[in-house]
Amino acid sequence: MRKTDNFARRRRERLLVFFALSIFTILNLVPLLWALLTSLKDPADAFTIPPTLIFEPTLEYHRQVWLENDFVRFLMNSLIVSAGTVLISVPAGSLAAYALSRIPRRSAGPILSTLFTIRMFPHMLLAIPFFVMGSYLHMIDTYPLLILALVAINQPFTIWLMHGFFLEIPRDLDEAAAIDGCSSWQAFRIVILPLARPGMTVAALFSLLLSYNEFLFALVLTGVDTKTLPVAIASFGGEDITSWSLSAAGAIGIMLPIVVIMLLLQRHLVRGLTAGAVKG
Amino acid sequence: MVRWQRGLWLFFLPSFGLLAVVLLWPLAYAFYLSFFDYYLGSDERSFVGFGNYVALLTEARLWASMWTTIIIAFGSVGLEFVVGFALALGLYRLHGSAKVLSVLLFLPHIVTPVVASLFLKWILASNWGLLDATLLTFNITPPDWLGDPFWAKLSVIFADAWIFTPLIMMVLYAALQGLDHALIEAAQIDGASNWRILRHIIIPALIPAIIFTISVRLMDVFRFFDIIYVLTGGGPGTATETITMYTYQLGFRMLQVGKASALGVITLVVVAVLLLSFNKLLNRIYRAGDI
Repeated sequence: MRKTDNFARRRRERLLVFFALSIFTILNLVPLLWALLTSLKDPADAFTIPPTLIFEPTLEYHRQVWLENDFVRFLMNSLIVSAGTVLISVPAGSLAAYALSRIPRRSAGPILSTLFTIRMFPHMLLAIPFFVMGSYLHMIDTYPLLILALVAINQPFTIWLMHGFFLEIPRDLDEAAAIDGCSSWQAFRIVILPLARPGMTVAALFSLLLSYNEFLFALVLTGVDTKTLPVAIASFGGEDITSWSLSAAGAIGIMLPIVVIMLLLQRHLVRGLTAGAVKG
Repeated sequence: MVRWQRGLWLFFLPSFGLLAVVLLWPLAYAFYLSFFDYYLGSDERSFVGFGNYVALLTEARLWASMWTTIIIAFGSVGLEFVVGFALALGLYRLHGSAKVLSVLLFLPHIVTPVVASLFLKWILASNWGLLDATLLTFNITPPDWLGDPFWAKLSVIFADAWIFTPLIMMVLYAALQGLDHALIEAAQIDGASNWRILRHIIIPALIPAIIFTISVRLMDVFRFFDIIYVLTGGGPGTATETITMYTYQLGFRMLQVGKASALGVITLVVVAVLLLSFNKLLNRIYRAGDI
C-alpha cells in the first residue's frame, strides 16, 4: 500500500517537474524567438503597441543584410580568423598535451596548474599590449594579429582539454611502439594520433566557437578590412529603430551556423564543458 | 624508456614557444608599461614608478567600478548557480525525457554573446522592446530598463544569467549523471525526504563540480565585456561601468595605455585573491564534512 502511494507520488512529482521545466524553457527562448520574428517583419510591424504576433513574414531583410551589405565579407573574415586559430591552436596544443600526459606526474602537475591559472588573467590586460605592439608593427587590421591573440587566449584551454584525452590512451601502446623501435614522434603519429581524433574534434570545436564568438580582441585589433561578424553586428544601426529588422536578420544569420554545428556535435560539447570539472 | 621520454620535450616546443611569444611576452610588456606615463601615439613616455597605481587607487571612479563589478559578479554568478542547479536537478529527475529540454535550455549559451545581448536589448529597449510594448498595452508604465542606474545593473545581471546559466546547468547535470544512483534509491526507501537527499548525498558528491563552475564563472565575469558593451556601454553615466569597461575606456578611448595596463594588473590581483580565498573557503567547508 505504502509502496504504491510512494510510486504515485513520485510520478506526480516528475510530471510537475516536467511542466515547470517546459514553461521555463519556453520563457527562456522568448528573446531568441522574438528576434527571429523581428527579422521576418517589416519595420511597420516591428514597432507596435501591443506587439504584433500575426503578420506577413518576409525574407527581404535576410536578403538585404547578406547581399546588399558587407556581411558576406565579414563572414569570410570570421571564417579566415577561426580557421587560422583552429589550425594553429589544436596541433600545437595536442603535441604539448601528449607530452604532458607522458611525463611523470610530478613534473606535469605544476605545468597543468600554471596553465589553469593563466586562464584567469583578464583579457583586457592582454588586449592592451597587443594593441600597442600591433600599432608599432603596423599590424592592426591584419588577420595574423587577431589570430595570434586568439591562439594566446585559447592555447591553455586546448592543452588542458587534450591532456584529458591523452591520459585515457593507455601508455602500454607507446611502450609497445617504443619496443618495436619507434621514435617518440613515430609512436605519436602512427599509434596515438588516430586514437586521439575524437579529442581533437572537441578541441577544434571549442577553438572554433571561441574565435567565431570573440568580441574584445576583434573589436580593438580589426578595422575595415578584417572586421569579424560580432564586431560588425555590434556597430550595425543598433540605435536606429528602423533598422531593427535588418540587424535582427543579421543577428539570426550569425547565430544559425554555430547553432547547427553545435547541435550536430552535441555529444562532444558536454565533454569539453566539463573538462577540468572532473579530475583529469 | 627513459631515453625515449627525453625526446618528448621537443613536443612542448611549438606550443610553449607560441605561448611565450603571444602570451608571456605581451603580458610582461603590459606589466612594464604600467610603470610609465604613456599616451599611445605620443613619442615620449616617462617612467613614473608606481605613479599609475597610486593615481588609480586614490580615484573614486576606480572604486565605483570595482563595486559595480563585485555587485554584478556576485549577483549574476549567484543567480546562475541557483537557477542552473535547480534546472540540473530537474533534468536529472526526468531521466530520458530530459534530452530535448536540455538541448533547448542550452541554446542561449551557444549563441554568440554579442548577438545574445542584442536579442536581450530588443526585449529591454524602452518603448519598442517586447517587454515595454507588452506592459504599455496594459497601461503599465515600465521603468527604463537600460537607462536607469538601478535597473540597468539588474538588466546586466539578468543578461549575464540568461547567457551563462545553461553552462552551469550542463556541467552540474553531467556531474549528477555520474552519481551512484543506488545510494539515492536506498535513501528513498529509507524514507529520506528530497531535501535531506539533496543535502547529504547530492551536494557533497557535487562539490568538485560546484567549485569548478563557480571559479570559472567568477574569473569570466570579471573580464566580461561584450554584454555590457552592447547593452549599456557602461551607462547610464558610469552606473554599469565594470573594471573591464573602465580599462577599455582608459586604454582604447583615452589611449592612456600605461594607466590602463596598471588597471589590468590590479584586476588580475583582485581576481587571484578572490579565487584563492573562495577555493580555500569551500575546501574548508568540504573538509568539515557538512554543508
